[in-house]
Amino acid sequence: MTSGLGSLLLADARLPVGGHTYSAGLEPALIAGMPAELIPAYMTARLRTVGLVEAAASVLAHRAVGGDGGAPVDPRALEAVHEELLARSPSDPLREVSGMLGRGLVRLAARLRPDHPAVAALRALGRAPQRPVALGVVAAVIGAGEAETARVSLYDDAQTVASAALKLAPVDPVDAAGWVLSTGDVMTSVVAEALAVRDAADLPAPTAPQIEGWSLEHRNKTRRIFIA
Amino acid sequence: MPDTTRRTPSTEPAAGARAADASPAPRRAMRLGVAGPVGTGKSTLIASLCRELAAELSMAVVTNDIYTDEDARLLRAAGVLPVERIHAVETGACPHTAIRDDVTPNLIAVEDLEAEFAPLDLVVVESGGDNLTATFSPALADAQIFCLDVAGGGDVARKGGPGIERADLLVVNKTDLAPHVGVDAAQMVADATRARDGLPVLALSQHDRASLGALAGWVRQVLADHRSGVHVPRDPGPMAPHTHADGTTHAHGGAGDVHEHA
Repeated sequence: MTSGLGSLLLADARLPVGGHTYSAGLEPALIAGMPAELIPAYMTARLRTVGLVEAAASVLAHRAVGGDGGAPVDPRALEAVHEELLARSPSDPLREVSGMLGRGLVRLAARLRPDHPAVAALRALGRAPQRPVALGVVAAVIGAGEAETARVSLYDDAQTVASAALKLAPVDPVDAAGWVLSTGDVMTSVVAEALAVRDAADLPAPTAPQIEGWSLEHRNKTRRIFIA
Repeated sequence: MPDTTRRTPSTEPAAGARAADASPAPRRAMRLGVAGPVGTGKSTLIASLCRELAAELSMAVVTNDIYTDEDARLLRAAGVLPVERIHAVETGACPHTAIRDDVTPNLIAVEDLEAEFAPLDLVVVESGGDNLTATFSPALADAQIFCLDVAGGGDVARKGGPGIERADLLVVNKTDLAPHVGVDAAQMVADATRARDGLPVLALSQHDRASLGALAGWVRQVLADHRSGVHVPRDPGPMAPHTHADGTTHAHGGAGDVHEHA
C-alpha cells in the first residue's frame, strides 16, 4: 500500500481512538505551577525522553509484525517489545492511560482488519496494550512505513501538548502550531535515534521523572479536564 | 429507516411478539444515552431511573463530566447504585466529541462495566452538558433521552435541533418550577410535541410521582423492544437543512440516508 493515507490517518486527531481525553501530561504540569511560557520547552523535553522511548517501541512493534519488508508476524518479538516498554513506564497512571489509548487503536484495527495476523498478535497482548506498541502494529497493518511510524508517534505527542494548551492556557492557536513546527530538528534527530534501535532489550530508557511525579498527583484530582 | 420507537411513555405491554421477523435478540445490555444542556437535571433524572429500576434491572452508569467528577459524585452520594457501578470519563473539554465524533473512551467504560458486572441489563451514559446540537452517536447509545427544563426558557422546545426533534424521548424537566420562572409548561410540552412529529415528550418533575413512573415505564418498554430486536437505534444527529456560501441549500439524513458510525 503506498497511498500514504495510513500515516495521515494516524496523525489526525479526528481518528476516533480516544486521543481527545489526553493532554500528554500538560494539565498536571500546569496545575503543578509550570508557567505557560515553558510549554514549548515541555514539548521538546517530552520528545527527547518519553518521545524517544515510545517512538522506538513503535518502530520495534512495526518490525515485529513484518515491518517495511513484509516479513512474517512474530508474536514473541511483539510481546518482548511490550514488556520492555512496560519496564520503562514506572508511573501506573501513565501506563493506564497508555493502555486506554492502545485499546482505542486495537478497536480500530480489529474493525478495519479483523483477520490480519498482526492484529491477532496485538490482541494477544491483552485488551489494553500500551499505545506505542499498538501504534506500531496498526501503522504496519494500514500501510505506514517504520520511519513514518516514528514520526507520527512524536508528532502526535507534540500535537497533543499543543492542542491541550489551547484548552488550559491563554494561547493563540497559531502560536501553538508554530511550536509544533519548530520541533522539526529535534524530531528529525529523535526519529533517527528510534530507527537505529535494533532489539527490544536495547530500547532506550531516558525518563522524565517530574512528568511521572505529576501524573501520580493528577490521578487524585477531582477537578480536571484530561485523564492525564 | 423503520420507525419502532414512536411510543408515548405509558403502560403499554411489551411488544416482543411483533418481532417474529426481526433480528435475534441482542445479548448485551441496552445502552441509554442522556443528553441535554447543562443544569437541566440529567444527573437527577438518572438517579431517579436508578431508584425506580435498580431493584428489577442490573444497571450501571457512565458520567461525562466537563470539569469535575461532580456528576459521578452526586450519583454515588445519592446511594442509588453501588459506587463501583458508576464510572466517570474525562472528555478533555470535548463533551460533544465524547458522545459523537469519537466515542472510544465512553465505549471502553461501557464495555468495562459490562464485563465487570455481567450480565447487565442497562447502562446509562450521561453526556457532559452541552448545547442543543449534541446527540449520541448510534455507535454508543441504543436509545437516547434529550433533557430540557422549563427554567431554561419556554421557547427552547420551539427552537428545535436534532435532540429536541429526534431523540427517542424528550423530557421537559422541572415542571414544578414553571410558575416560578414564568413558563407555561403545558405550552412548552405542546411546542415540543409539534416539533417531534409524534415522538414522545414527557413532562417530568421530582414532585410528580406519576411522571417518574412514566419515565421508568418508557425505559422498560424500550428495553423490552431492544431485547426482542424491535428497537432500532436511530440517529437524531443529521443537521437541519442549511445554506452554503455558494448559495446551495440542502438537507442531510432523509429516508434512506442512514449513516454508519465507526
